[in-house]
Order: sequence, then C-alpha cells, then structure tokens
Amino acid sequence: MKKIISIILCAFICLSALASCRNRNADNNSSATLKVAVLESAYGSEMWEKVCDEFEKVSEDVNVELTADKNLEDVIGSKMKGGDYPDVVHLATGREAALTETMIKEGALTDLSDVLDMKVPGEEVTVSEKIIPGFTDTLATNPYQNKKTYLAPMFYSPCGLFYDANLLREKGWELPTTWDEMWALGDKAMAEGIYLFTYPTAGYFDAFIYSLLASSGGVDFYNDVMNYREGVWDTSEAKAVLDIVAKLKDYTEPTTVANSTGDNYLKNQQLVLDGKAIFMPNGTWVVEEMADAPRADGFEWGFTALPAIKDDRYSFTFFEQCWIPQEAKNKEAAREFVAFLYSDKAAQIFAEYGAVQPILNMTDKLSEENKLFYSVYENGAKAVMGGFAATEAVEGVSIYNTLFEAVNSIMTGDKTVDQWRSEIISVSDKLRNNLK
Amino acid sequence: MKTSKSFLFFCTFPALALFLIFMAYPTISVFVMSLYKWGGYSAAKTFVGLNNFRALMEDDRFIGSFRNSVILLVLVSIVTLFLALWCANALTREKIRAKGLFRVIFYIPNILSAVVIAAIFSAIYDPSRGLANSLLSLVGIEPVMWLGNRSVVIYSIAIAMIWQATGYYMVMYMSSMSAVPHSLYEAADIEGASRKTKFFSVTLPLIWTNVRTTLTFFIISSINISFLLVRAMTGGGPDGASEVFLSYMYEQAYTNSSYGYGMAIGVVIFVFSFALSALVNLATRREIVEL
Repeated sequence: MKKIISIILCAFICLSALASCRNRNADNNSSATLKVAVLESAYGSEMWEKVCDEFEKVSEDVNVELTADKNLEDVIGSKMKGGDYPDVVHLATGREAALTETMIKEGALTDLSDVLDMKVPGEEVTVSEKIIPGFTDTLATNPYQNKKTYLAPMFYSPCGLFYDANLLREKGWELPTTWDEMWALGDKAMAEGIYLFTYPTAGYFDAFIYSLLASSGGVDFYNDVMNYREGVWDTSEAKAVLDIVAKLKDYTEPTTVANSTGDNYLKNQQLVLDGKAIFMPNGTWVVEEMADAPRADGFEWGFTALPAIKDDRYSFTFFEQCWIPQEAKNKEAAREFVAFLYSDKAAQIFAEYGAVQPILNMTDKLSEENKLFYSVYENGAKAVMGGFAATEAVEGVSIYNTLFEAVNSIMTGDKTVDQWRSEIISVSDKLRNNLK
Repeated sequence: MKTSKSFLFFCTFPALALFLIFMAYPTISVFVMSLYKWGGYSAAKTFVGLNNFRALMEDDRFIGSFRNSVILLVLVSIVTLFLALWCANALTREKIRAKGLFRVIFYIPNILSAVVIAAIFSAIYDPSRGLANSLLSLVGIEPVMWLGNRSVVIYSIAIAMIWQATGYYMVMYMSSMSAVPHSLYEAADIEGASRKTKFFSVTLPLIWTNVRTTLTFFIISSINISFLLVRAMTGGGPDGASEVFLSYMYEQAYTNSSYGYGMAIGVVIFVFSFALSALVNLATRREIVEL
C-alpha cells in the first residue's frame, strides 16, 4: 500500500513539473503578446483592463497580458532580475522600492522621444500635440537632460494645501496668500485652540518644498536646486524656504511627528477633517483616501496653492510615469500602447476613475470636485514640475532623506536649520559629482 | 561496500542539493555581490572591491542602525530571558490557578503576525488616545511621543518585541523545567533550600543547555523581528531614528538603488550575528549537568 501511495505521489510531482513547463512554453511562443505591468494605485485596476481591451480593438494583432498589483515591484522585480522584462511599465518615481529610479540610474530605459511624434492609434493627431505643453520638458520625463524623453507623463495631480473650506468660512478667516498672512492666521487659530498645520508624513514635504523653492527664487532657481548647482543652498532664497519650514514647527499640531511614521499618517489627515488643524500638504488623491473617514459637521474640501514668498504662488504638479525597459522584447507594440494611453478613449476611461491624463481640454471632462482642484492654475498659481536630476546611485547618500525626512527632526527640535542646511549642502556636493 | 556508499549518496543527495542551491549559493552570492556597484535590475555591474565596506564605515545612518540593532539585541534578549524564566518557573513550580490559561495567554503574542503586533502597539502608543499615555496621565505625567521622539522610539519598539517574544521562550523553558525530576526539589526542601536557591542551584543548571540554545535564537529573532516591526510601526523614522540593520539594508538596496551596498550591509549582519552567536556560545559554556 505504501509503495502505491509513493508511486502516486511521485507521479503527481512529475506531472506538476511537466505542467508548469508546458505553460511557460505556451507563453514563449505567443510573440504578439504585449506584457503590460501597472501599479494598482488608488484608482484601481479595472480602468487598465478596459484600456487594454480598447487597445486590442485598435491593434488587432496584439494580445495584451496585463499585470496589475499594489506591490508591483515585488511581482515584476524578481522576474526582471531573471531577465524576464515587461514591455510597458506604469510605475511612478517616489515609491519605497524605487524600481523606476533604479532603472533611470542604470540607464535601462528606452528613449520614448519618437513616441511623441507618433500618431495616437485611432486618431489623426500626434502624441505631442495632445500632451499639455511643458509636461515632457521636466526632469521627471527627461532625467538625463539630453532633450530626450524616457518617461511618459501620466495621471497628473496638483499638490498644495488642503483644508476645510467650511471652517474658514464659519470663523470668518481669509485664505492666506502670503506667508505673513499665514502666520497671522496661525496666531488667530492657535488662540482658539486650532493648529495651523499638520502633515501626513515628512515625505509630503517634497511637493511642498519644491513649490516654496519656485516661489522663493523662480523657476530657474528651482532648476538650479534640482541640478545640485554649487552654492545654491547658500542663497537667501534657499534659506527663506528652510526658515519657513522651521517656523512651521511652532504652528504644527504636536502629535503630528508621532503619527507621521509607519502606517499612522491617516491620523494626521484626520486632524484636518476634525477641525484640529487647518492646513495639510497633500495631493488630490486625499479626497478618495479619506472618503469614508468621519468629519466635522459641514466639512467641505478646500484646496489652495502655497502662499507666496515673493510675488508668485506655486503649486507642484505631481504626475506618474510610464516607461519601456530597454530589455523589452516587443518594443514596437509597446510604443503603440504608450501612444494609445493619450487617446481620447483611454483618457475618458481613466477620467471615469479619477485619473487625469495630462492632455489638453481634459479638465472639462472632470467631476465638479475635481474641477476645483485642477482649476488652481487658472486662479493665479503657477505650475512647477519635475524633481531632482538623475545621478549615479551614491552609497548611503539620499537627498530625499536629507531634505524631506529631516523635517521630522526640525519639528521635534532635534536638528537646527543650520545643521539641516549643512547636511543638504554636503549631500548635494556628493550627488553633483555623480550627475548622469 | 560500494552499494552501501552509493545508497548513502542517493539518500543524502536531495538534501545536499537543496542545501547547496537554497542556502550555500545565495549566501556566497551575497558575499560576491557586496563587491559590486549594482542597482539590482540591469546587467550593469561594476566591480568595486571593498569600496562598499569602506563607505559603510563613514555612513552615519548605518552606524546609527547598527547602534539601534545592538540596543534591541541586548535589551530585548536580557529582559525577555529574565521574564520568560521567571514566568516559566512560576507556572511550573508554583501553585497557581488556571496555569493552562496563563500559558495560552502568554503564548498568544507569538502566533500573531508582526503586522498585527505593530497595529496593537501603534494603538497603545497613540499620542492622544493610546493606553500608554492614558496610564501616564493617571499619575500626572505629561504625554510621551512614543513613536515621535527620537530618543524614545527604539525603546518603544523594544517593548513590543519583548511582549511578542516572552511567551515563546517561556514555553521552551517550561518544557525543560517540567523534565527536572520532582525528587530533586523534595531533596532541596529537606535541606531547607529557599525558592531562590532551588531556582539557581537546581532548575537553572538543569535547563542550562536549553537556555544556551535560546540565546542564539534571541540573536537571530531580534534581528528579524525588529525589521518587521520597524517597517510596520515607524518605517525607520522619525528621520532614521529607529532604523535597524535590515531596514537600512532594504532602504539602501532598493530605495537608494545601491544593491551592492545593501549586500555589503548583509555581509556585515551575517558576520556580526555569526560572531556574536559564537561568542555567546563560548561565554556560556558550562559543564553539562546530567541526571
């Protein structure tokens, strides 16, 4: 009896092994298969399934194999290490696993400049004619500053300060447009036991500091900072930015730092909904993220660009990115697919789920609430885009940690502005020598 | 004779092959990769010799994560060891009602996943509504930012680790304590030995082998569990104050695109934990008391 059981078990193991071989061979043989890997973000994965279906209708000889996952890096990362690359990847920079940054640093992306000149499948216009001007001239799309686009801009979202519009209305407080007005509002609010400011995590200071830098010294100054220009952090413009963040310490809700680590950041966002803090830096996704959270009576989302340091107010435009790995096997179909993402059909599907493509006249098709957020640029705020220039990876050195994570230490008083600035200068020096 | 040798070979080959493929090869790969500058995904690898290790020596954040790991290792091991021994002794030797219930209650944290433990302690450490600050307010102490204060955060994680580990080691010690013959305690009673003497002169020498084994477990599990809890509770924050070995290794290997550097950190962890285990083993060597 034991022998029979052993034989059956052995046969089962052998058959399973053979079955897995068969599957793999089947995959390898379908040459017209386009492997698309996308991050399943707050917008969900259903819209991607619909877009892939539409693309298959336009390009009949292509069969799309979609992989959508919340932890996309875990799914495709190990396969990529083994040489199995997707053809198209939708995954933004700024993620903890930093797969996109690694691909940029390693020069492992395909040049997409020719995609901009391609006609959008099913339409008579080119991709570049549809994309809002400026979106393909940023360091987030052209990381090597060689006028070549390696990352296609996707789903944009203005970032700025979110607040309870009803609270300000009820209290009769004006929305501040300069930092002096901001501090004055802070003093008034603190007198009533309401804090001026909170932030979800220190990482949210990226868009905040980018906007402040542009407001302090203009776009050229902002670009100097992003390119690690020597001496840029010694300027009065840079000091003004760091001083503002340091002054916010006195106006920030005291439990913010404790809740800004790990998975507790929603508690900080809740402070705004509860009317315990007025402003928080965030992006349009916060509305969906806090959709089920309890809130103060009459709560109404408000959104504004950052107060001006000098003349202009800025709102950082965050957008996601889509790219084709250099090792992709089906590059032609991949290019077609990326071009299709800017079609009216695809943009319409994305918009139904709240994801807004950076194409002209898209804001007309948005919901009323989203229109409020996206109209920030029509109400006088200027847009600033992109992030730090790509460098070779420098071991143990991260501008992200030094510039943004350090805000927590500023808020707890463990670091002074001078210490912070000298650390930023030291890290900038190291990264400048390793610019790609 | 020949048949017996080939029989032995065929019997051991599967296990040996698995060991070589899944243990030896990855370990050697870590050592090899630590000598390269590599992002982890592309074929662009550059041999840099010991540069990664030189950079480690000057990396303040690595030194901070090393210090945090050592604090957790020492603190958690010592406190857990004492608590587990004390609880095990009480539940084995003392007449306590509902011993079985206590045994289950103490063991429960061990079957919870690290994410659940992190969620429980995040609620306990909540600055405004958490249990910890509510207790402090009863005795008039100002609220503590358990996860937001750079000097406190690592100890907050240590408390969660101790809570998680005590039950597991307690059960291990209880199993060896119950193997100690009752007659020895009766003899000690006749000699007039106190509880303390009985514990140090009878119980501890007889379970010493078990205690020594668990010391190695403490080293390995402290390194692993601290990573899981730090990732879920603080993400290494605020501003890197709770970074430990493995969380820093992850950050460098992935977030900072320095896979080779991350592997160099892996090598340091490997050598450190190996050396520490050997040292602890050597320092705790005693003549084995057998019955």
